[in-house]
Amino acid sequence: MMTEGWYPVFLREMLLFRRKLLKLSYLFSAMIVPIIYLVTFGLGLGRTVQLHGTDYLSYLIPGLVVMSSMNNSYTWVASALSLNRLYFKTFQVFVQAPISPSSIMIGEVLAGMVKGLFASLLLIVTSFLMPSSPAINAIFVGTLFLNCFLFASLGVIIGMTAKSHEDTSTYNNFFILPMAFFSGTFFPVNRMPELLRVVINVLPLTHANILIRKTQMDVEGFVSFLILLGYAAAFFWYGSRLIRNYNE
Amino acid sequence: MIEIVGLTKSYGAITAVNNLSLEINRGEVFGLLGPNGAGKTTTIKMLTTLSKPDRGTCRIDGFDVVKNSYEIKKRIGIVPQENNLDRELTAYENLLIYAMLHQVADLEQKIAVSLLMVGLSDRKDSVASGFSGGMQRRLLLARALLHEPSVLFLDEPSIGLDPLIRRQMWDVIRKTKIEGRTVVITTHYIEEAETLCDRVGILSKGKLIVLDSPQALKASVGEYVVEHINAEGKLIQHICRNREEAHVIARGRDNGVTIRKTNLEDVFIKLTGERIE
Repeated sequence: MMTEGWYPVFLREMLLFRRKLLKLSYLFSAMIVPIIYLVTFGLGLGRTVQLHGTDYLSYLIPGLVVMSSMNNSYTWVASALSLNRLYFKTFQVFVQAPISPSSIMIGEVLAGMVKGLFASLLLIVTSFLMPSSPAINAIFVGTLFLNCFLFASLGVIIGMTAKSHEDTSTYNNFFILPMAFFSGTFFPVNRMPELLRVVINVLPLTHANILIRKTQMDVEGFVSFLILLGYAAAFFWYGSRLIRNYNE
Repeated sequence: MIEIVGLTKSYGAITAVNNLSLEINRGEVFGLLGPNGAGKTTTIKMLTTLSKPDRGTCRIDGFDVVKNSYEIKKRIGIVPQENNLDRELTAYENLLIYAMLHQVADLEQKIAVSLLMVGLSDRKDSVASGFSGGMQRRLLLARALLHEPSVLFLDEPSIGLDPLIRRQMWDVIRKTKIEGRTVVITTHYIEEAETLCDRVGILSKGKLIVLDSPQALKASVGEYVVEHINAEGKLIQHICRNREEAHVIARGRDNGVTIRKTNLEDVFIKLTGERIE
């Protein structure tokens, strides 16, 4: 009973995801928000703005990629898990199967990562049509994977603790959405008031934004990497614990 | 064999299952009968590891459901009261995921046999959301038997089914018993309990009030029931020990008097003063 049971959990999500992909509405919903930001802030507002000596679009695109990876990894897992647990009761099929809680966690998180990475990939491909496209290096790819893992794990925590499906939207509005705007996606954190910066520097997306823009690893990047790793480990551990202690 | 000792579960101030103790023999079809809210589903949830008891123990084939949940999960199949199929997946995909979760060997053949058993072979590539209620229940049953569990739990298996499909469901359950499996059924259908079960435990407000074979339970209250409508239009029932006593009571009543054999609901009414609904 180790972790080999993750595959059917993952496969189930992928079979459902494949069906969603066949519906254009899914692709549209995954793409629309980041593309609106890209066009509005990047091509519109951003034409006259320079940040760190480069054009705004070069700054914005990596931020939109981590934001999109966060939104898609987190939302799909949190939403699906709360629905499956509270309404469709399909989550109970996993809990009553002879597989470990970690297997369920791994399967759910990997599925969330695939969704987050897929949405990020769509955005990266779109960004190549823009005047500036992101420099994709090992740090960029590593940050993306780590960010997806972290937020998919957080999605499990929210999906397991939500008392109703509406709760997931509440968490989204009070935690995910402000984080998307204040954590360095659209502008550097050092432009925020000092008091607010203390809070912002604790948030994981801030460090994903710092890390993904690094062309070479430095001390700041390494600290952000460790913080993201710490969050990822903590969220994964707590999500697995919630599954282990599941009790109706 | 299933051994339940002092099983208790509360939700806030409500005690859903109260100090339940009973034994279910290997190869037996055992029914938990009672009205909605009697504690049947909570009992099944505890026996199937979904819910942890506040007090008491349950053991299946010698394994404790809390301490040895992995061993329990390998041995049990479950048809839950609420349809928990993946509605957007096909019948085949639903069974495939379940078979992989339960490490079923030779799964393609097992899936084919299971679909054939419940008459869904020709719909294996149809998504479950397009199935009728009866087809979905049959698919749930096929799924529960896929890994050949030694104990099958059925929580209200024929709820919402038409009589024909219900009987088909019963045939599969009988076949399961013949194959040597223990079957635990919760139901509030009197006919289902009487037709399928070797023994029945009647639950009321979380407590086991009586346990025996359907025949013995009915015989314990009397063989016949006389029913008539009184002057206020209320249904009056008299449980009688034998036919002669029933005829004596029926004699001299107004039109509309009926004499019938007792059923398990009469047992429940006699013991609790309430009806199973």
